[in-house]
Order: sequence, then structure tokens, then C-alpha cells
Amino acid sequence: MLIIKLAIRNLFRNVRRTILTVMLIGFSLSALIFTDSLVKGMQTLMIENVTQSLTGEAQIHQAAYRENFDINFYLKDGNEIEHKLRKDKSIASFASRVISGGMISSSYNVTAGGLYGVDAARESQLSKLKEATVKGQYLSGEAKELLMGQSMANLLEVTLSDRIVITLSEIGTGELTQALFRVTGIFNFGIREIDDNLVFVNIDKAREILGLMPGNSHEIAIRFTNHKDAESAGSKFFQTFNNDETEALGWLDLNPEIASVIEMSEYSSLIMGSILFLLATLGIINSLFMSIYERTYEFGVIRAIGTRPWKLTQLIILEAFFLALLACFFGMCLSFALSQWTSVHGIPLGEIEISGIAINNNIKTQTTLTQYIEFPLYVIALTLIASLYPARFAAKIAPAEALQRSL
Amino acid sequence: MSTEKGRAIITTESLCRYYGKGETEVRALDNISVSVEAGEFTAIIGPSGSGKTTLLHLIGGLDNPTKGSVHLSGVNIANMSGSQLSDFRRDHIGFIFQAYNLIPVLSAEENIEYIMLLQGINAKKRKEKVEEMLVKVGLENLGGRRPAELSGGQQQRVAIARAMASQPDIILADEPTANLDSKTGVSLLELMRELNQEQNMTFVFSTHDMKIMERATRLIHIEDGKIVKDERK
Repeated sequence: MLIIKLAIRNLFRNVRRTILTVMLIGFSLSALIFTDSLVKGMQTLMIENVTQSLTGEAQIHQAAYRENFDINFYLKDGNEIEHKLRKDKSIASFASRVISGGMISSSYNVTAGGLYGVDAARESQLSKLKEATVKGQYLSGEAKELLMGQSMANLLEVTLSDRIVITLSEIGTGELTQALFRVTGIFNFGIREIDDNLVFVNIDKAREILGLMPGNSHEIAIRFTNHKDAESAGSKFFQTFNNDETEALGWLDLNPEIASVIEMSEYSSLIMGSILFLLATLGIINSLFMSIYERTYEFGVIRAIGTRPWKLTQLIILEAFFLALLACFFGMCLSFALSQWTSVHGIPLGEIEISGIAINNNIKTQTTLTQYIEFPLYVIALTLIASLYPARFAAKIAPAEALQRSL
Repeated sequence: MSTEKGRAIITTESLCRYYGKGETEVRALDNISVSVEAGEFTAIIGPSGSGKTTLLHLIGGLDNPTKGSVHLSGVNIANMSGSQLSDFRRDHIGFIFQAYNLIPVLSAEENIEYIMLLQGINAKKRKEKVEEMLVKVGLENLGGRRPAELSGGQQQRVAIARAMASQPDIILADEPTANLDSKTGVSLLELMRELNQEQNMTFVFSTHDMKIMERATRLIHIEDGKIVKDERK
């Protein structure tokens, strides 16, 4: 088609202007793709930090437990739940926990905190408690073992093998009870809430102190084979365990503040995209108008020999389309190169804290197919929309007036 | 498209074109009534600003008259809409301008082909016609060149070929030789005259070059927007 040929050739009449416009649109696209891949990388890192720390991807509690975190509402038929979980192929791992608040005392100081009784073997498959143990030993099943955060250890002025006394209320009777432990390990999760407030002991010992029976627990944390299952409230898992007796929640519901941060970060891409595209649009309109003004006489001739106004509109839109194609190719290549490098090496941002979660790993950008299909389509659509105004202007040029223009 | 000799192909009645209003009103054309017959080789002459180009623009449907009518091949084009005029110009009028007639990014062949593309002529016929036209204007070996690679005279020849390719009823040329040296200008006029005689093609062109005027069969003198003399040789 001659009109396509004409549009492509017109694009290269002023090579410098075309290159500059292509760079403007291309850089905007690559900035958007890069920002989105960075946001996605940060979201993944945050999700990993949340789900791999202690929360897991979902949790099951006694239906009323989370209202006041009352230790009297515990899962009485934990064994049956565990049996169901073992049979569910969508579950990769799970770990039961016994939880209670209490006073944690050393020879030098005392603080209020939370006690987590955990199954050492299962917990190591679910949370990063084992990896987070930076000093001493992870739990091995011995009754007196206790893991404590570095910041709590500093507060209580204790170190490995020092004695700790935990005072708490027995379930049912409410009687105060005490148990002696020795610090066998010190952990650093990077999550202030955990590092400052929690201690971990073996689950059997915790049940013994609280007066629970084997199989009783307050919480069962879950990890799915496919982490997306945690976000699907209608899945079989949630349908099974959301009933009068038990409540099952995904990590998004368990950490609403993180969910909000993630939702907000989605908006940041949108805002960034809007600003970049607005600038690119103005650039496109400017570039097309410059090109039209330069060719006013020529448009006069083209119109004079019988080209309909609509054909001229088509020509300008086609020019914009090819400009967008070039810009998308440039932008995609640039962002691919950049994102590929940063997806391997990551971007060191130092240690940042978002909603109490420390992110100290390099943020690795995350590339998705959407970024390379949807975003360029947006760019093309936007360029075409931006071209409508100059195209309409060109179509309305009166031939007689255009032919009076000095060359 | 050659037309029956002697038949009026252009008729203007009380044609006026005014610019501005009130005290600033300029009468570029004032009450022009003229008729051009098929096969005529007519020159519109007059000093700069006399209204030659305005008259050609009105006859060619490039501008709308303030008053009066323009009949071209029996059709009143004065009140046509933009798209109707575009189609009418495409099918009935060939244009040659002073300079920069051609689309610079298309080759000579493509420039000639473009107008036929607008007419919806198929590729095979377009190709044949392009070759025929290039031979007619003596540029058979230069069809692949872009305008920037052609001399001014060659560019004007391509413009003639393009104007002829659509088989119009009339060719309007606005000072077609103004940017050419006198030798090239005369040679271009001879080509136009040849086509006029061989194909009975009607030509109306504006000029103030004496050598060109000599070759016209009819001279319409315009001054201050009015016809002051109309002579047939």
C-alpha cells in the first residue's frame, strides 16, 4: 500500500526529530516497565518476608480465637485437621503452634512477650525460624530449649545457655504457672514485632505448661504448593476450614496492613504510568504538529490533487502508529536489558522497613509477559489517541490557504 | 480525458472572491464571468496580485467564492462539500503548481501512481499508465528517482504526467514555469502544447512570462480582480 509506504517514509524525513520522539516514548515505556517490575519484585520480597517468616501463607484457628486472641479458644481436634491437611495435595507443609502471652524473666530484667510452642521439624519446613537462628542451636525437641530474638536478649541481658523463667496462665483454670528454660538459640527475623516480643519453645513443653492435651493447638500455619492458592478465598481449603468450629485465613487477611501496602504499590505504577504517558503524549502531539506545520504546503498539494480529508487523517494516524511501533521496540529492548540485569543482580536499597518488615535483600526486578504485551499496547493506543488532534488539524487544512504558505 | 472541442468546459458567472470585511475588504476577484472551451490553451495573465491564482483556485475548487458560480463540465462546484470537492478534483481536474508539486518521499513513478490509487485503479493498470505517462513527458528512465534527484524542469514534467494520469477534463497550472530558467520553461510549455494538440486536453495556466504567453491560444488579462481583456489568437 502506497499510503503505508508514504507514512513510513515521512517518519524518516526528519530523522533527528523521529529519533528524539522515539526516545521520549521509548524511555517512558521502559521506565514504566522497569518501575512495574521493581514494584513486583518488591511485592514478592515483602510477601516472601511475611509468609516465610512466621505467618505462613494461611492459618487455621478456632473460630473465636482471633477476636481477642483468647488462649481458651484452641483447636481441640488438631489431629483430625492435620489428617485432612496431609490428604490435601494443594498443601505443601503445615505446622501446629501453641501460643500464649506471658512474662519472660531473666536474672536481670523482665518483659511481657509471646510464647510460641512449635513442632521443630515441621516449623523448619514452614517458617524461616531455623534460618533466622543466628546464634546457638535451633530447637531439637529438648524440653528446656528456648529461642529468643536478639533484641529481647539484649533487653533481658541474656546470652546463650542463660536461664529464662516464663510465667503464664493455665488454660481453663487461669492459674499462674512458671517454667524454666535455657536460651539455646538467638534469632534475627528482621521483623521487629517478632524479634522484640516472641520466644519459641518445643510444642509439647508448651502444651504441658498451659495444660493442653496432645493434638491441641491454637494455630496451624499452612504453606501451599502454589502460593496463589492463599489468595483464592473460594478454594477447597478455605471452604473446608471455614465453618462454625474453625476459621481459615490467607496471609492477605492476616496482614491487612501489608495487603494495603501492596495495593498502594499497584497504584504507584498507575500514577507513574499516568505521569510518564502524559509527558509522552505531549511529546507526540508536539512532534506531529511540527511535522504537519513543516508540510503544510505539501498537504495543500496533496489535498488539491484530490486526497480526501479522511485519507490525510489516516496518513497522520499511520505515521503515529509506526512511530509508536518503533518506540515500543526501543523501549522494550531497553527495559528488557535493564530488567534482565537487575532481575539477576538485584538493586541494593540498603535496609528498608515497610510496615514493620525489614527488607534488606537486594530487590530483584520481576518481569512479566503483561509488561511486554499490555504496556506496549497502551503506548500504541495512547499514541494513536494523541495523533487524532494533529490528524484532524491536518485534515482541516484548506488547500487554497496551504498553497499560499511560503516554502 | 479529451473532451469535445468547442464545448464550454468551464463557465464562471459573476464570480467574486472578497477577503476581509468593511473598510479592510479586499476584492481579489470581482464579478468575473468567463467561459473556457474544451481543447483551449488559455493563459491568464496580469501583474502580481491581480487575482490570477485566486481565479485558478476557484475554478479548481480549491477555494469557495464569495458570490457567483463555477460550472466545471456542467457541474456547479461552488457549493460542494470538502469531500465532494476532493473527489471532483481527483476525477476532473489536473493541477500543476509553481514548484514543490511532488510528494518528496515518493519516487516519480509513485507520485504519478498516487492519484490513480486515489481513484481506485488496480495495480496493473496503474503500472501501465505510469509507464505511458513517463514516456509522454520524456522521463522513461527516471521513474525511480525521488523529486530531490530531479531537476526543476523534470519535476514539472512529472507533475504534468501526474496531472494527465487521472485523465482529467482540464489541467490548471499556476505559473508552472516561474521557477524554471527560460529555456526549460519554454520546453515545458511546448510539452503542454503538444499534449493539448495531440489529446485535445484543455489547459488553463497563469503566467506573466512573455515567451509563454506567445504560445497560448487565448489570453485573459486580469487587473485588480477584473477581466480587462480577453483575446483569442
